[in-house]
Amino acid sequence: MYFAGVDIGSTMTKIVVTGTNHTVLSSIKGPTGPEHRQLANEVMEMALERADLQLDDISYVVATGYGRLNVPFADRQITELTCHARGVSSLFPTVRTAIDIGGQDAKCMRITDGKLVDFVMNDKCAAGTGRFLEIIAATLGVKVEELGEVSAKSTKKLQISSFCTIFAQQEIVTRLSDGESLEDILAGLHDALASRVAGLARKLKIEPDVVLTGGVAKNAGIVKAMKANLGCELLIPEDPLLTGALGAAILAKEYSLEAMAKGEPSPAKPRRLEKATFFK
Amino acid sequence: MGIDIGSVYSKGVITKENELSVFHVILSGGNYRTAAERVRQELLKRVNLTQDDIANTVGAGCGAGNVYFASHRASDIVCTARGVNSMFPSARVVIEVAGQSSKVMRINKQGLVANFVISEKCAAGSGWFIEVIANVLRIDLEDFGPLSLKSKNPIAFSTGCAVFGESEAVTRVAEGIPKEDIAAGVNKALADKISSLTKKIGLEEPCVISGGGALNIGLIKALEHGLNVQLLVAPQPQITAALGAALLARMKVKGADLGK
Repeated sequence: MYFAGVDIGSTMTKIVVTGTNHTVLSSIKGPTGPEHRQLANEVMEMALERADLQLDDISYVVATGYGRLNVPFADRQITELTCHARGVSSLFPTVRTAIDIGGQDAKCMRITDGKLVDFVMNDKCAAGTGRFLEIIAATLGVKVEELGEVSAKSTKKLQISSFCTIFAQQEIVTRLSDGESLEDILAGLHDALASRVAGLARKLKIEPDVVLTGGVAKNAGIVKAMKANLGCELLIPEDPLLTGALGAAILAKEYSLEAMAKGEPSPAKPRRLEKATFFK
Repeated sequence: MGIDIGSVYSKGVITKENELSVFHVILSGGNYRTAAERVRQELLKRVNLTQDDIANTVGAGCGAGNVYFASHRASDIVCTARGVNSMFPSARVVIEVAGQSSKVMRINKQGLVANFVISEKCAAGSGWFIEVIANVLRIDLEDFGPLSLKSKNPIAFSTGCAVFGESEAVTRVAEGIPKEDIAAGVNKALADKISSLTKKIGLEEPCVISGGGALNIGLIKALEHGLNVQLLVAPQPQITAALGAALLARMKVKGADLGK
């Protein structure tokens, strides 16, 4: 039996296809883009092709993330908090605190025995999300993927005083013209973002093990700054982007087994890969 | 002379005793010291005076330290209060909407500040939000207010962040929402933030609006609606703090103690 988790984030779309024992058969990540509402089917097609499967082979599809309502072939929609918590716990059974820094939000979750018990999130302000780094990278002419590497060369602690992304953007232009180095400015920005997210996380009681996920976790500079701000070690999945989709696939399996236990078919009905049409 | 070097605009005023003689406004640009010098030269030229004719100068604003020819610095809050008091002696609350901050202050009849709150951490609480969205809509700032007043269905922004708001405006433009509805939505969003700031201080009339934001008639209407009050609008609202700085410079000459 096969299951799929589709995580449509604000910035990236992620799909994980698993077998019965949670083995990942294929995973795919692509930019969500402005047309994301109509693209889930195309990304799914790619994921199926990689796993050499047809859509009808998939017993159950769970959609999650900010765009989860735009997946017409999903059997169920589940919030990303639940899916993240499940995905993280399957990778790190000892997790008590999970921090996810996404493209346009940041979430901190408390997890007990694999279940989400409490959370805080920021989706109101770009400071403290991946968007902050994207804007800064564009301003400095550095690729987002290279930010961590460049900041590692920093030799001086530099405090970025602006909270707002827009004001920080202006501040770094001033700092550059004052002669500060790109490396030091980037390290300062990483620290600014980390202190914002750590401040959010501290609204919950932070208990180890702490797992960091989301695209921003791929930035070594942020990981270092987060460790310093939280004062603890961090566990990072091999692919920190995929935990939500993985959790969705695991939940898909549970719902599928539940349906079959009741004697219902899984998949419940024939599906077609089609574009979401309820949005223009 | 009063020189107010703000984050976005630099403003200068020369007064003769208590009367405004001339004012000048330029973009601050990257170098505040140059901006201060340019404002001073233009002011002197316009009234055909030399530096020797100026009895005293006070610098204000975030670039006050760059007004190297000033004898004193004063905070823009003190200067704004002083400037408003000279125009509206009865004013009790002043709302100042500037390029990168918003401030609400309570003042007494002598023009002294009793209390104030400031929002300077977030672009969505300042005039910058308007600039960002005007840029998305490709309209000039001076057209922003009048355009927004034409709106019948202002959009509701789902975010309180200028970065996310910019993306949202782009999406709405792509959806074919009229520009006036987007402009009116931004004015409403900013007015909501400033209203809650004002409520922290406590609204009391007469209430004056000043700063570059007071050039936006749409924002004024949205604030009046949100606060349920009639606002007095400072004439030439951008120069209020510079005017206050010039008046403080005069008070100093007359023997008042301004501190450092």
